Amino acid sequence: MNPSIIGQMAVSGALMGLVYALIAYGFQLTYATSKSINFGQGELVMVSAFFSLTLTNLGLPYWLMVPGGLLFGALMGLAIERAGIRLALEQKSEGWILLSIIMGLFLFSAAENIWGRDDRPFPTPISADPIRVLGVDITRLELSVAVGVFAIMGLIELFKRRTLLGKAFEAVSADRDAAELMGISATRTVMLSYALSGAVAALAGILVSPITTVGPTMASALILKAFSVAVVAGLDSGFGVVLIGMALGALESLASFYLGSGWREAPGLSLLILALAVRPTGVFGKAVIRKV
Amino acid sequence: MRRILLLRGAELIVFAFLATVPLLVVNPYALGLLTLLAIYGILLIGLDVTVGYLGQVNLGHVAFLGLGAYAAGLVVTRFGLGMVPALLAATVVGLLLGALLALPALRLEGPQFALATLSFAALSTTALNELESLTGGAQGLSLVRPPVFGHALTPSLFYWLCMVLLALVWMVMRNLLSSQWGRAFEALRDSPIATDAMGVGTYYHKVAAFSLGSGLGGLAGGLYAFNFQYLQPQSFVYELMIILLLGVVLGGRKSLWGAFVGATVVVLLPNLLSNRLLFHIFSGAGFAVALAAGLRGLAKKSTRPFQALAPVVAMGLLAIGGFFVENTEDWRKGIFALMLFSVVVGLPEGLMGFLAIFLAKLFRVPPSPLPEPSDLDSVLPPRAQGDGPLLVLADLKRHFGGVKAVDGLSMQVRAGTIHGLIGPNGSGKSTVVNVISGLYTATSGGMSLRGSELPQGSLNRVARAGVARTFQNLQLFSELTALENVMVALKGVYKMPLPLVLLGFARLEERRAQADALALLDLIGLKDQARAKAKDLTYGAQRFLEIARALARRPDLLILDEPAAGLAHPDVLQQIEIIRRVHARGVTIILIEHHMDVVSELCDQVTVLDGGKVIAEGAPDEVKRHPKVIEAYLGTASGSGPSGGVEPLPA
Repeated sequence: MNPSIIGQMAVSGALMGLVYALIAYGFQLTYATSKSINFGQGELVMVSAFFSLTLTNLGLPYWLMVPGGLLFGALMGLAIERAGIRLALEQKSEGWILLSIIMGLFLFSAAENIWGRDDRPFPTPISADPIRVLGVDITRLELSVAVGVFAIMGLIELFKRRTLLGKAFEAVSADRDAAELMGISATRTVMLSYALSGAVAALAGILVSPITTVGPTMASALILKAFSVAVVAGLDSGFGVVLIGMALGALESLASFYLGSGWREAPGLSLLILALAVRPTGVFGKAVIRKV
Repeated sequence: MRRILLLRGAELIVFAFLATVPLLVVNPYALGLLTLLAIYGILLIGLDVTVGYLGQVNLGHVAFLGLGAYAAGLVVTRFGLGMVPALLAATVVGLLLGALLALPALRLEGPQFALATLSFAALSTTALNELESLTGGAQGLSLVRPPVFGHALTPSLFYWLCMVLLALVWMVMRNLLSSQWGRAFEALRDSPIATDAMGVGTYYHKVAAFSLGSGLGGLAGGLYAFNFQYLQPQSFVYELMIILLLGVVLGGRKSLWGAFVGATVVVLLPNLLSNRLLFHIFSGAGFAVALAAGLRGLAKKSTRPFQALAPVVAMGLLAIGGFFVENTEDWRKGIFALMLFSVVVGLPEGLMGFLAIFLAKLFRVPPSPLPEPSDLDSVLPPRAQGDGPLLVLADLKRHFGGVKAVDGLSMQVRAGTIHGLIGPNGSGKSTVVNVISGLYTATSGGMSLRGSELPQGSLNRVARAGVARTFQNLQLFSELTALENVMVALKGVYKMPLPLVLLGFARLEERRAQADALALLDLIGLKDQARAKAKDLTYGAQRFLEIARALARRPDLLILDEPAAGLAHPDVLQQIEIIRRVHARGVTIILIEHHMDVVSELCDQVTVLDGGKVIAEGAPDEVKRHPKVIEAYLGTASGSGPSGGVEPLPA
């Protein structure tokens, strides 16, 4: 029960939690415009990481590889929207849940066959040497995660508030029908949200890969926790996912320390089911008034 | 009658054939596949309850298979008990854990529900892996099939056991789903709010359905354990869940036959992947079917281009890719994905849904005739129009944040009257109705019905207290027929306890329910369209049907929320006539309406709201001349009325 060990575990856990928060933020982007989320987002994270690894292996420098990976993620997001989401939304059915799971399954299979089933290291120019901050060791790699997460979330939030296109995004989120009547194409806005969400997922993959390694199953645990964070925080609070993400990361890092690494996932999952029981709209979500 | 004979006949033939297989075939491999077919059949019937009837994507069913399997395995290995207690334990574990998960998870809808079940599945895999002292962890758990009543179970005997259980599950589920329970499941998928408002507890039925489906998952798990005699947590993971969903969707939702067909597909899939020639044949056939159906859909313009072409592309990828891939086993997930994608997009009703339409055309068997309508006096007994107040609202308030939608409303509705509630848009009429009927909880104030406190904040409990309502924005059960819409809401007809329903005794009540519902349809003039789906009725007929459905509750107080909204003139006249007939039977009515002529014609007393407060009360003619009412509707000469500029008062 050394307090400095607890502090160390909590801090590195919380930094890892930022990755969950980033993926969860990707869910919020699409949920805002279309009330749908991509259940295959984990596979999107994984294939984008593999693609970025290929770019690196081709000799692209880091600063070129990152935009390349983000672009790939955005394109994949668009493909999923077109093939898996749009039809179901037009039919006002919940078929998109199943369809996005299916597309994820296909991406998984494709990745297994294209890049192989083994976990591979992800080279990065950022050093893994620890620096000491307030008595806790943090690596530059972990710091790069925090910087990347806050940078892209900040950029997207700025985009939503300051640009015309971003305001269209907000308008469709607030009231789809009214936005359509004002001449904003809801379909295009939903596409935009899926492209952004895909880019966000790709960045999550690029940030986390140097720490975890790249492999077909790299995101299967990650995505469950991102789901937990998104639902516990509520699907409409960007601030909420960061807070809940960091808390969950710290909690599970402590759980795996005290209960054994097999129980790593348990706190997040129990928290999810509990939170749903107590507050179905999420801790930071708005309660919806039912209308008839 | 012929229809039932045909259906039962088909079931009988299939089961008789399956039962004789071990006598004819000695191939142990084929027998093993058929045993699995029975087990997966039970599993998929359970999954269909949530995916088909409740219409929710359930990603946790595979966990109940695993938990049931381990429960059965542990009962045998740890406690040394026999097969019967083991299977019972597996079922009970499924039922209980299903209820435990359903209680929180079913307060959610759609994606959140799917996530909750997914988390549960992941959590149960973790538990099975980590509780090593109990489950053996990743090492797995070996067990031996115990004898039953002193007889060792040969593969044939075990096969028969599985088949008998499948047949039992089949019968029990058919009985349940064709009873009021099945109707309630379908109703709450179409409109959970209306299901509650008709006194059929939505939440209760959902939890019961989920728990039941999970119990079947547990039972299948028990059989699974005795079939393989070796268990591993890794067997019950996401990939199997996807295959199970593929089975239900491909077979056809909301259908026992669909689950059976789906189970066949699930059992045959591994063979399809290991045999190259078989794979080419099936993928080629799938491509041809998708192409034919797609082109036909495009030519007849009956499907959207995407819906017609996407399955063709997916199946084409499968058929052509099959020639380039070295080992199909490597691509198994991708192959499942392509198949499932084609089915979900191109054949959303599944194979059985498609076949059912085809067979219905082929045989054209008329449905069994409906009974004669009951006497209306027994369905909706005329009651004495007692004097005195029926409903009393005292200083009722409902605020939304800073908006005071209802702000200190006091009002009395006398028994046996039609009480009008009018006011300009945004005056709080709908909020009042929603507070009385239990959709909203009052911020403060009291409500009493015939002197006793009215429950607050629960549509279901208010409905059971004797208040029925209709909805301004129609909340019919659109996939059910007009008759079934009324039957769902019938009060005091369904008395059979669940065990007897499962055994099929609910049929005795069904005739009575049909007759009663027909009497109410007759009252609103829709008797001839009893079998039409609610969504296919004309708009006017849908509004009338809302009233018939509410009357099935035998209410003391009926709240009509803008029953004439959007109706054409002839329909308005018919609606007035219907309301008169209902009132003549002694039902007290609160009428919210914008048509002033309807209000003048029908109401004994009118309350006018504005800004959440009562501004006038009295007979219709007095109220119309009241200066405050004129001001609220038309604004004052200076235009500074409290809600100036709202719609004019229709004469």
